[in-house]
Amino acid sequence: MRTNIWLFAILSTFFGASAAVYAGWSLIEPTGYQLSVAELTGVVPPEWVGTVGISLSSILALFITFYLWRTQASVGADLPEDRTDAGIDDGDPEVGFFSPWSWWPLALAFGLALMFLGLAIGVWITIIGAPIAAISVVGWVYEYYRGNFAR
Amino acid sequence: MSPAPGSHGISRPNPTQVGTIVWLGSEVMFFAGLFAVFFTLRANSPQLWAEQSSKLDITYAAINTTILVLSSVTAQMGVRAAERLQGRRTGGLFNLAKWGTVEWFFLSFAMGATFVVGQIYEYGNLVTEHIGFQSDSFGSVFYFATGFHGLHVTGGLIAFLLVIGRIFAVKRFTHKEAVSAIAISYYWHFVDVVWIALFFAVYVLPLLS
Repeated sequence: MRTNIWLFAILSTFFGASAAVYAGWSLIEPTGYQLSVAELTGVVPPEWVGTVGISLSSILALFITFYLWRTQASVGADLPEDRTDAGIDDGDPEVGFFSPWSWWPLALAFGLALMFLGLAIGVWITIIGAPIAAISVVGWVYEYYRGNFAR
Repeated sequence: MSPAPGSHGISRPNPTQVGTIVWLGSEVMFFAGLFAVFFTLRANSPQLWAEQSSKLDITYAAINTTILVLSSVTAQMGVRAAERLQGRRTGGLFNLAKWGTVEWFFLSFAMGATFVVGQIYEYGNLVTEHIGFQSDSFGSVFYFATGFHGLHVTGGLIAFLLVIGRIFAVKRFTHKEAVSAIAISYYWHFVDVVWIALFFAVYVLPLLS
């Protein structure tokens, strides 16, 4: 995890620097679009789409850096993959519960597909899709909380 | 093969929580698109922006923002309770110190719902001021950005209910329920931070310029 923290920190720094360079460069060499805006408003705007997009790419990487850094601190020790003296077995712990199979994601995808199709074609399809999606979400969330799995 | 010293008994990062964070990273980029639209259109028509922004009720929006920010605090109190594996309250209804995850999440739900209702009421007021979804570029991006945020809050409200339902469904609150509670709190804090950025861009920037 130490390596991951560094990788994301470097990415964040790179995107941050790129955003600054991009914003400055877009002011030095404005595009025809920026100039046409400047004719109307009297001010040359920076190219906002790239500036915002690259800045938030930096924040995206910083966000994951921060989370991994806090997680590393709460684990309190290096994970086996960060140690040169660790064996293969050390990296083979209980990682959690994973459903062996489930129909609910398929049903949910079908419901959501109908909902979005409805937005494009006619809202009545969305109305049909909504209950399918709602039932699928509930079914998925509670799949291992009822029947044989009730506890 | 003998294990390396000190490598056993380490609590590995939970895959559900790491996955939630990575997904929230992709949500950052979703909102990046909305912010890019907002700033581009704002740069195109500063006069329209100044005129339409003056119709926004910043005091009202600030109160609504405060409610959402405080709901993050109550959600975090719910996480604290989840970390000590306390699903339900052990004291009286008004004994906050003994509240469990369920009570704190119900309170967070109520505050989040208040925010959404407040936002709808604000939309209603703005429509009477002739700011509609298709009236001009300000109206489009205002409803587009704050509306998508409102949908995220609504999704969070549903998620709160699902997690509360899980806690009600089990006899004993275990690590598994705590993980659900922590994952939804990540999402809630994220949506809260996005709103602070949106509030700054939509409501505060016009006052500064």
